[in-house]
Amino acid sequence: MNDSGTGTFQANGDGDVGIVSYKDYFCPTPLEFELGGRLDSFNVRYETYGRLNSEKSNAILVCHALTGDHHCAGVYSIMDKKSGWWNNIIGPKKPLDTEKYFVICSNCIGGCRGTTGPASINPATGERYNLTFPAITMRDMVAVQRRLLAHLEIEKLHMVIGGSMGGMQALQWAIDYPEMVERVCALATTSRQNAQAIAFNEVGRSAIMQDPVWNNGNYELARIPSVGLGIARMMAHITYLSDKGLEGKFGREHSAIDGTKIFKPSFDIESYLHHQGQSFVNRFDANTYLYFTRALDLFDLRGKYGSLENAFKDVSARVLCVGFTSDWLFPPEQNREIVRALLRCKKTASYAEIKSDLGHDSFLIHSPKLYTLIENFLDV
Amino acid sequence: MSEESNNIGAGGKRKIELDAITEWVEDGQSVLDLGCGRGILLSEIMRRHKGIYAVGVDTDFTKITHCIRRGVNAYHGDIMDALKSFSDKSFDWIVCSRTLPEVENPKEVIMQSLRVGRKVAVGFVNYGFWANRLSILFSGNRIVNKVFPEKWEDARPSNQISVNDFKEFCKSNDITINREHCLKGNWRTPCKFCPNLLSGYAIFEISLEK
Repeated sequence: MNDSGTGTFQANGDGDVGIVSYKDYFCPTPLEFELGGRLDSFNVRYETYGRLNSEKSNAILVCHALTGDHHCAGVYSIMDKKSGWWNNIIGPKKPLDTEKYFVICSNCIGGCRGTTGPASINPATGERYNLTFPAITMRDMVAVQRRLLAHLEIEKLHMVIGGSMGGMQALQWAIDYPEMVERVCALATTSRQNAQAIAFNEVGRSAIMQDPVWNNGNYELARIPSVGLGIARMMAHITYLSDKGLEGKFGREHSAIDGTKIFKPSFDIESYLHHQGQSFVNRFDANTYLYFTRALDLFDLRGKYGSLENAFKDVSARVLCVGFTSDWLFPPEQNREIVRALLRCKKTASYAEIKSDLGHDSFLIHSPKLYTLIENFLDV
Repeated sequence: MSEESNNIGAGGKRKIELDAITEWVEDGQSVLDLGCGRGILLSEIMRRHKGIYAVGVDTDFTKITHCIRRGVNAYHGDIMDALKSFSDKSFDWIVCSRTLPEVENPKEVIMQSLRVGRKVAVGFVNYGFWANRLSILFSGNRIVNKVFPEKWEDARPSNQISVNDFKEFCKSNDITINREHCLKGNWRTPCKFCPNLLSGYAIFEISLEK
């Protein structure tokens, strides 16, 4: 079935895809996970923007990061205050031009935004999977996206693009399905989660797992481990920013300091992080957070394939990696390293670095330099 | 400078060198261009030859975006960093076109290039050119002309080379000069006689092969 032509978008003419709606693909074919375990069937929630051309050659797959989802452009209704997470890059006349390309984004397997994940009901038991959900890897995420594309009858991707965890998926795509991928654009990412990144993830997971409400993953949905998840988010959010970025945005701005309530969050940065934590727990499942951060930790192309060169040996896509100078979670060097390895095995690959003070999240933020890179890369 | 040289703009000058190096490269070879700029040389080599594997290295973001638009593999970063990541003799050619005066450690760049590449093409403006000598002799000021357009206060630090400097360097480091392509002040007519004095631009092919 190809439901790409059903027109889920309504362009409003100002460069936005306008009102969008998600779709669900129910896959009845069992899925074996890389590290064991299986699902007899699963759902994938996704959105598409633009139209698939008759040759089916203009599809771009967007892969989301740790806390992202399938809703990367447009709004669900005119009342929505926020558009999709990559609205700045996707839309008519934008770098991922929906007048030219058919853009697809799905919620990763194990997610909590509509795709089957730990919070979904296991049809076999009638209970939530929680920690009985199979362990997830990047390869599993990509394998599920592959199923979605088969459902959409798409055999070739003009490009796979993503930042951070999305960049890992993009690389995994080029490795696992080389014949399907023409271009890979991996932003602010790594070929191998390093000790520092694992360390931060473990602190986040500890916050969740030591929240008594978590209860080994078996919390009531009406009473979630919001303290642990909120703290995990607060801490992780710092790693997405930078010293300079935080200083520029918040500095030491604070409300009146009251000596009798000295620990009441008073600095703007404190309120901001509490707000981030709070809004996160309302939209994200704690168990998904555990599963996804673990998938990140397990990502190690060098370890898995013996060397990066070996990992990339069958890659046939053109690859563009982009690093951001102030990204200290996946620093430029880890992005450069990917391209150096690709070039060592005589692959078509480029590395570009963008000066930015905004840290790891730079790839999500308005950047004409990034737009130029992506447009140029798509034109080749 | 001669009348003729005034008719060749910077682009024209670049083209002479581009033609020379493009001619040296053969079908199916691999080329690493250090200081590749906008990727013009590499895309020309790719256009004129079959089966070329080309990589450009540059530190300028805008130039890298041009390379990507041209479909030239581009590595945004430090030349030494890029060179060190490649194994011995992993490229047929390393190109250093007007790059050496800009790097901090020219000797290391040349030696690493000779390790990574089977052959190295080096192109540079000959600082020993007679017009440069006269300019300094008569004015006593630092040279400002078409080739060195900026006054000292606006220019980046650069480390100019003469044909003799380069040959002496090669001799004392056991580097073989396979080809020497010196051009007169117009950067067009070959210059066989007294190149250190009479050539405006020089391109060398060097290697460690005896």
